[in-house]
Amino acid sequence: MQPLLKVENVTKRFHQVVANDSVSFEVMPGEIHCLLGENGAGKSTIAECIYGFYKPDKGSISVNGEVLDLDSPAEAIRHGIGMVHQHFVLVTSMTVLENIVIGTDAATAILNLQSATDRIKAICARYEVEIDLNSKVWQLTVGQQQWVEILKALFLGARLLIMDEPTAVLTPQESRRLFKIFREMTGDGMSIILISHKLDEVMQSDRVTVLRKGKRVGTVVTRDSSKSELTNLMVGRDVNLNLVRERSDVGLPMLVVSGLHAANDFGTDKLNGVDLTLNRGEIVGIAGVAGNGQKELFETLMGVRRATSGRVMLADQDITNKTPREVQQAGIGHVPDDRFAEGLIPDFDIQSNLVLGVHRDQPFARRGFLKFGQIRSFAKQAMDEFAIQAPSAQTICRTLSGGNAQKVIVAREFAQASRVILANQPSRGLDVGVIEYMHKRLFEKRKEGFAILIASEELDELLALSDRILVLFKGQIVGEFSHGAVDLERVGLLMAGHFDDAPNPNADRSL
Amino acid sequence: MNELFTETILIAVLAATVRIATPLIFAALGELITERAGILNLGVEGTMLMAAFAGFAGSFATGSTWAGLLAAMLAGAMMAFLMVFMAATLKVEQVVTGLALNLLAAGMSLYLFKVYFETQSMPMTEVMPFMPIPYLADIPWLGPIMFQQKGLTYLAFLMVPAVWFFLYRTKWGLEIRVLGENPKVIDTKGMSVTLRQYGAVIMGGVLVGLGGAFVTIGSVVRFVPDITAGRGWLALVIVIAGNWRPSGILLAALVFAFLDALQLQIQGVGVDLPYQIFLALPYVMAVVLMVLKSRGGRSEQPGRLGIPYFRGER
Amino acid sequence: MGIVVEKRLTPSTSWQVASIILALLASGLVSALLLKSAGADLGTAFGALWDGAFGGWRASWKTLVKATPLILTGVAVAVAFRARIWNIGAEGQLFMGAIMSYWVYTLVGTLPPIILIPILFIAGFVGGGLYGGLAGWLKARFQVSEILTTVMLNYVATYFLSFLLIGPWRNPDSFFQQSPPIDRAARLPNLIGGTKLHLGFLVAILAVAVIYVLISRTSLGYEIRAMGMNAKAARFKGINVERTAVIVMLISGGVAGLAGVTEVFGVQGKLKPDISVGFGFTGIIIAVLALLNPIAIIFVAILFGGFVNGGIKLQVATGVPSTLTDAIQAIILLFFLTAAVLARYKFRLGTKDE
Repeated sequence: MQPLLKVENVTKRFHQVVANDSVSFEVMPGEIHCLLGENGAGKSTIAECIYGFYKPDKGSISVNGEVLDLDSPAEAIRHGIGMVHQHFVLVTSMTVLENIVIGTDAATAILNLQSATDRIKAICARYEVEIDLNSKVWQLTVGQQQWVEILKALFLGARLLIMDEPTAVLTPQESRRLFKIFREMTGDGMSIILISHKLDEVMQSDRVTVLRKGKRVGTVVTRDSSKSELTNLMVGRDVNLNLVRERSDVGLPMLVVSGLHAANDFGTDKLNGVDLTLNRGEIVGIAGVAGNGQKELFETLMGVRRATSGRVMLADQDITNKTPREVQQAGIGHVPDDRFAEGLIPDFDIQSNLVLGVHRDQPFARRGFLKFGQIRSFAKQAMDEFAIQAPSAQTICRTLSGGNAQKVIVAREFAQASRVILANQPSRGLDVGVIEYMHKRLFEKRKEGFAILIASEELDELLALSDRILVLFKGQIVGEFSHGAVDLERVGLLMAGHFDDAPNPNADRSL
Repeated sequence: MNELFTETILIAVLAATVRIATPLIFAALGELITERAGILNLGVEGTMLMAAFAGFAGSFATGSTWAGLLAAMLAGAMMAFLMVFMAATLKVEQVVTGLALNLLAAGMSLYLFKVYFETQSMPMTEVMPFMPIPYLADIPWLGPIMFQQKGLTYLAFLMVPAVWFFLYRTKWGLEIRVLGENPKVIDTKGMSVTLRQYGAVIMGGVLVGLGGAFVTIGSVVRFVPDITAGRGWLALVIVIAGNWRPSGILLAALVFAFLDALQLQIQGVGVDLPYQIFLALPYVMAVVLMVLKSRGGRSEQPGRLGIPYFRGER
Repeated sequence: MGIVVEKRLTPSTSWQVASIILALLASGLVSALLLKSAGADLGTAFGALWDGAFGGWRASWKTLVKATPLILTGVAVAVAFRARIWNIGAEGQLFMGAIMSYWVYTLVGTLPPIILIPILFIAGFVGGGLYGGLAGWLKARFQVSEILTTVMLNYVATYFLSFLLIGPWRNPDSFFQQSPPIDRAARLPNLIGGTKLHLGFLVAILAVAVIYVLISRTSLGYEIRAMGMNAKAARFKGINVERTAVIVMLISGGVAGLAGVTEVFGVQGKLKPDISVGFGFTGIIIAVLALLNPIAIIFVAILFGGFVNGGIKLQVATGVPSTLTDAIQAIILLFFLTAAVLARYKFRLGTKDE
């Protein structure tokens, strides 16, 4: 059988970084082909090359034996390639229908979208998806938004669907449902390239191509392989993400949040009465599908967003709606989820970023003037302590890798915080080495008696770190599990909003 | 003061409102299309000024206001081309580019005027004639207010529904609106972001150019330095006050025009107040309007306004 | 083999400097075209331009006088742009500085110069500062775009001045809109005998020094830079972005207001509508060309001061209108913006596969 897609010796470079180094693999018709690798291994880059979004520096990509002239996604689309990006590419203020038909032949000069509706409805019926084509995208759940993306590709006639980390935003049950649909698609003769770093779902594919540091290290038939073999291929060594959890003495309540309400920038309520308590010497994990209020919770606690009602107590101190500076001075550190947009001033050097927030305070400033000697020596010390790899303390942060940038933020927040650390998606996009390191540092802080709150989309990470796991759904805490008593199945159901003890019989079909 | 409120005067003020609104509507609609495509063109004032000059020069050189109109549209398109080349191709800071265009227009129009026209004594062009519309012009009240205007004025008011239809009922309009919210959507569907930005901005420039033309050949026989006198900047305020919608823009333009018409009338009657108060009024109103706008309702401002689009790479 | 173009993560400084030179050369070419089209002899024209700007010590002193308000407006704009606050209102702030200082002069104009002149500068700073601060406050309090408010306030300031000059401060002996002349004693003293270079130039240099230290050495300057580069992260880390915006506009407007004082008390000797001929706008070009660096602004402002005087000489010598230099300044800016794009890329010989 002729392969549907053939990738040959593709090399792609950004600046001095080689993202893909002579990568080759083939995808057969009706196959689910997984691209496995750590963050930064080059999975997304090769996918963007196939989709024509990036132009490879070298190598060729062919579909059904025809070499693509990759300059724009138009060529890929013409050859039946569709892609669902990890971060959805949608216009949230427009309707589902508009998002699907724009740029297709269904968008006639004078728009008459009704004709397209029937075609889209037929696709939805085929895969038993229910979605209101006339609702605005921002009104949909993340899972539904993912379907809009898939519908976009199918409507353009995709025969090969590239899915970049599709389950990152789904509950375990939703993920299972998605894989069932993938099988229906391959049954119809479609092929799927699945990008993932989660071994459980990788095992459901037909073949796996493993990437490490931009190079292909092997392609294996999934059923002839094992998780441990794949891990070894992916990381090149044994990994132990489950660090030895030392017992820690959980102390008195440190941060007590009660009945917290807040809205997002568009005035939609995102926190609807959050109650939670962080104790000294404890790590609490927040599980939840993205968009259920994680971001707003952290921002409200930090004083960046206004609480419309409710209370935040830090020990005996009421810090509700205090300014960010007051909250930080009270001893709370914050690691935001969007490093370069919220955590750093990318065009500042490392040393300036390391004193962001204490740039008015002793010893880094006196009488309004910066003390550069102090700043430099603090930066040197922090860079040593956190193994930040950079030419010097004057290196501009924009040029740092994600891991090093995150270390700058963590070094700063650990130095500034004295009681509480809040971290939203602290290991997103980092490679295993850095994640291991971050976890080690977090456990150290826990031992020192810090109260730590972490939100993560990786349930495995939460299981490894947390003394307790809270489930956040539509701005409320809907479940609590202590370490060792976590029922993942139930966590998943709660994340999707099913609160009954008995699993909801319809759960699998609702998005 | 009583004579202010006689019927004749009221009609005169309202007719003046419609006339004064003409260039504002053109310019604001042009900027609307531009901003909907995600590009903040602060060079409206300069574009109008260049077009006003081109309209005058073209009309003077050929003796035809039609040629002047064409020249004005061309000048608008050329200024818009400069803007979009800097913004979409070079991805230069759009605020600075827009300001540069204004300074360029102020300098160039004056220089060219002095070189080519000041040597002659009092260069004058023809002015577009009034075009009363048969029958409609005879309707009491409405006739003299709406239907005894110039061709460009009718066109400006017709452009309001036309631009609405274009933006909301055609595929090009849909694509332009998407550009302003998330250009990556266009890119990932295999369509050229840049090409569409050029189209939208140049189209906007032509509309702004029509507004400029009205300031010279549509209204007066002469060109004087800085003849647009801030109308382009008011157009930017009108886009905001009109919440990026054609109907809102029409309303906001009429409010400004009414104020201006009123002050002209009051000045004419000879009220004992310093005339500078009336001249400054539209600009004070502009600030007040923007403050009021910030207080109420959801803004329709395009989410990616002024932010250049780069594919992927950080 | 071929020329390989790669994107840089941070722009190259040397290229940015080279961009200015490239822009000047390209603009020279365009000027030549414009001069030719006006029928001027290029040699005479460029000669006159140079003579008027830097030909001899007399011309050079005059250029420094012209550069004085440009240094001040340039620095005023640069402070604001550093914080990514688009203050387009230096022109109006200059006028308000002039108005406020003249008003104070009408109140206490009989004080001895050694006391009076500092007071005049303070008044100018306060006048411009409050006017800039108003736009800053509107931005912080109502999220109204400072671009549009400052532009609107420019128009308002112009009309306000015009009102004062036909009303309360009118010179009854003059046909023009202007105030009565200011006492000799209250005028800014000349720095060097036989020249018109007045104390204002020193004040401008001092303002540059203060702003330079403020931006690069103080916590406030750190916040201004942080806010300009990433306002969101700055806010997350406790910087009060709204308050900083108001402070920045107070400072920016204040420095622009100083230019009003230098023109009224140093150059014109009276208050009139043309104390500024677009200095506030030229300041924007100067600030951008100087990469918002206060020290560099001095040199760029002197160059532009030369343009102004050169333009006047050009008109006398060739009949070409001096407004040519206004157009050329904008063309320099456009060329600079274009050339500066190259600073974002790296060029080398070779192939991409190395």
